[in-house]
Amino acid sequence: MSTRCPGIAGIAYALPAESRSVRELAEAGQLQTKPEVLERFGFDRVHVATEESPYELAARAASELLEEQHVDPASVGLLTYSGPPGTLSLTPAAEPWDAAAALATTARFKYPGTRLQYELGLINASVLGVDQLACSTLFGALRVARSLCATEGIERALCVNAEFFPAAAGREAVFNCTSDAACAVLLERDAARNHIAASVHITKGYYWDGDARKSEVVASYFPTSKYAIERAIAEAGWSPADVDWIIPHNVSLRSWELLLSLLTLPNARLWADNIPRRGHSLAGDNFINLRDALDGGAVRPGQKLVLFAYGYGAHWTALAVEA
Amino acid sequence: MAARSQVVFVTGASGLLGGDALRRMLAADPALRAVVLVRAAGRWERAAAELGIATDRVAAVVGDVTRPGLGLDADARRRLARDVTVVVHAAADVVFSRSIAVARAVNAEGTRHMLDLAAAWPHARRFVYVSTAFVAGRRVGRILEGEDGGAGGWVNAYEQSKSEAECLVRASDRDWLILRPSTIVCDSVAGTVTQYNAVHLGLRLLYDSLAPMLPAAATTGVDVVPRDYVAAAIAALATRAGLAGRTLHLCAGAGALPVGELLDLTWEAWSRVPEWRRRAVPRPVLADHATYRRFEEAVEETGDRRLRAAVRALSHFVPQLALPKEFETAGADALLGGRAPAVQNYWPRLIQHLVSARWAVAVQGVAA
Repeated sequence: MSTRCPGIAGIAYALPAESRSVRELAEAGQLQTKPEVLERFGFDRVHVATEESPYELAARAASELLEEQHVDPASVGLLTYSGPPGTLSLTPAAEPWDAAAALATTARFKYPGTRLQYELGLINASVLGVDQLACSTLFGALRVARSLCATEGIERALCVNAEFFPAAAGREAVFNCTSDAACAVLLERDAARNHIAASVHITKGYYWDGDARKSEVVASYFPTSKYAIERAIAEAGWSPADVDWIIPHNVSLRSWELLLSLLTLPNARLWADNIPRRGHSLAGDNFINLRDALDGGAVRPGQKLVLFAYGYGAHWTALAVEA
Repeated sequence: MAARSQVVFVTGASGLLGGDALRRMLAADPALRAVVLVRAAGRWERAAAELGIATDRVAAVVGDVTRPGLGLDADARRRLARDVTVVVHAAADVVFSRSIAVARAVNAEGTRHMLDLAAAWPHARRFVYVSTAFVAGRRVGRILEGEDGGAGGWVNAYEQSKSEAECLVRASDRDWLILRPSTIVCDSVAGTVTQYNAVHLGLRLLYDSLAPMLPAAATTGVDVVPRDYVAAAIAALATRAGLAGRTLHLCAGAGALPVGELLDLTWEAWSRVPEWRRRAVPRPVLADHATYRRFEEAVEETGDRRLRAAVRALSHFVPQLALPKEFETAGADALLGGRAPAVQNYWPRLIQHLVSARWAVAVQGVAA
């Protein structure tokens, strides 16, 4: 008898063509912190959408994923879409303000998830929007998809997330430089690899207004992050020493080094290659990193991975994955 | 010839320990009289009223330990020289964030001034110095009662200045007795706090989710004592014969609770406060000292003003948690007929009191 175990069958992502260095962002007034400090924290460049819309990035990532995985669109039973409201998603990132005004019209009902279902030919996929989880949104989408695979017999779910900041807006969130991006993850009920062994999601509503409670948010980050990761490891039936790689959200290396120290894991277990060249993204940088780590051969089949992200506002989430 | 009646001279009588110790001494010996040193006229009357001490057996003199001769006038000095038989020097600056110059002026130089003055008092046969167990500073392991403190340096200027004061006392030719209380947290029965200190500040920062990390192992003992135990010990030992040249720890000693258990008790008590419980404040992470130092540096570089202030305030005393030590209490236990009250019995009352009293404004002063 075969055991059915949901897993990540494939990942694809799309980045805007333009990238800017931390120094260039500082010169343009798009940072709050001195560039040399952010460079010390591991950041070098980020991608900035100037021509592309979030939807264009999402569609590119999703269609590439289906093509790479040779997936019949009709076999996808669920599409989750996450990102800015419809009008903002369909407008180039450089022009967000007119799109915001369109929320007052029926244009607000032009949803990118529905459009993506049509354009990709996902004729059997129902569409769900998953939102308000900040950088942990894609984890939330996978959680829902995994659950629906188990309860509704869905064989394949496509989870897509596209996030951006207006091109001229600030590019820093709590000492982290951010990229615009889209990421698509294909979850299969009987995946051949990347089995999800445990999934931990913690929300603390007290910190919902991160600007007003910035001190408490920063202070609560470490103990709650440690707790979430350790719980995921324990629920997977592993010990911390079993973990081959931490696949991070691309926040500052300084904070990761501290967290790893609290977890008594060596810094070498952190797959940090993308932090300098991509920065952080709300679109699911853990999964972008996982794709690159798999492609580059750093992650090998059978290795034990922990993906962890903190979503500002305030969500802590950790995924234990057996590659 | 009739025995000379005892007259005790007390500094710090309006502070955390001196007044309560004096109240107990007066109650135990109806013939005892006292003189207290206060910094301002009227201060003693207020303190005595709060302590329930009848002022007819106690005279107050206005002075200042930071000044030679305590700043006393000639008449006061003449009367003290004539009458005083025992000195209990409890005055201290207990703020951990002071510079060494400020802490030394009160704690070390103040003790020097007290010793110099008492040297001219022919009947003063006993000099009791109320020190601190934390003169042990950065030393770890078992700390014996008779040992000098601070061979490895200190965590803050308070510890250093008290250690320097002990050296002055030991070098004097008086019949000295050094009493070393641990950190005083509350009254053992009601859990009430007489004087807010660094421990209460630390608890406030934990309550407010501003102390996410502590440099300690879960098994590291946290040595604290209740105020009434220390005051009673001072009162019982100050005039007892046969203690010349002794140093005694007034500490929890082997009864100190591990950090992990203390946090369990604390979170259990706070979890009964609905307003706090729904905030889901995480328990602090226990880290090694190197990791904690990196956290301090990161906050210094990136933390906002409030978090930076919190971590700076903690930096004056939480490093002690990374220096596990167990204070020997055999001498004090034998003389007092038992150990200090068990921490787990009064700690929940302290925690409840802090919440109901909302920590009082005084805690803010510790952080300054």
